Amino acid sequence: MASTIIGAGITIEGEISTDEDVVVAGTVRGKLTAKEAVTIEHGATVEADVQGGSLVVGGSLTGNVTAVERVDLQSGSRVIGNLKAARVTIADGAQFKGNVDMDV
Amino acid sequence: MTQSRPQPRAPVHGRSPGETEARIARGARVRGRITGHGDLVIEGQVEGDINVRGDVTIAEGATVHSPSVGANAVTIAGTLEGNVAATGAVRLAPGARVRGDLQGTAVAIDDGARFAGRLDCEFDLPPELGGTSQGETRGRAPARR
Repeated sequence: MASTIIGAGITIEGEISTDEDVVVAGTVRGKLTAKEAVTIEHGATVEADVQGGSLVVGGSLTGNVTAVERVDLQSGSRVIGNLKAARVTIADGAQFKGNVDMDV
Repeated sequence: MTQSRPQPRAPVHGRSPGETEARIARGARVRGRITGHGDLVIEGQVEGDINVRGDVTIAEGATVHSPSVGANAVTIAGTLEGNVAATGAVRLAPGARVRGDLQGTAVAIDDGARFAGRLDCEFDLPPELGGTSQGETRGRAPARR
């Protein structure tokens, strides 16, 4: 329940890894690994490869994504990179450039 | 795919945009540099420089290896190897284990904290002790309890 939060004013350059949730409202450059849900909030900037149980993007993400369950790109998000997940949704209004691999 | 809508997660914080908080939760590990503004609470492990305009709390059970921790007020209840340069007060809570130099406007070492290092503490002497003394007292600055 106590998830890791990168607040809006915070920048992390490096590697983040956790067994639990991560919420990014600030900036992350490097690598982001979580076993549970990863949330990139509106206004956040992530330039990192992301691994997670699931991923919700509302902000800006540059990097490749691997999620065990699902990836959801919300309206207003901007994603450049490849997505690999069993389920992927791209909402109307999301910007996306890259490949999708749903392992079919 | 149509019915599987994204479940937007309620923002965990964000009620007051001025008060950004960052938390490295227990079990989380960060290797790299942490910068920016806002308070930072570390419950997990951090290896790398920390430089934030805000308060840093190293919670009980947290481990931080950081060549330099720059922040406003710094409270340590966990383990820190590295130097602290605070613009506010530094407090070592009971259970803290700190190896490094501490710099701050005030330094408090609670009973039960373990500390090896130097204290650099800036403070003004009270007027009855000559008043205008200022500047850094290096070495054995009094640790206030």
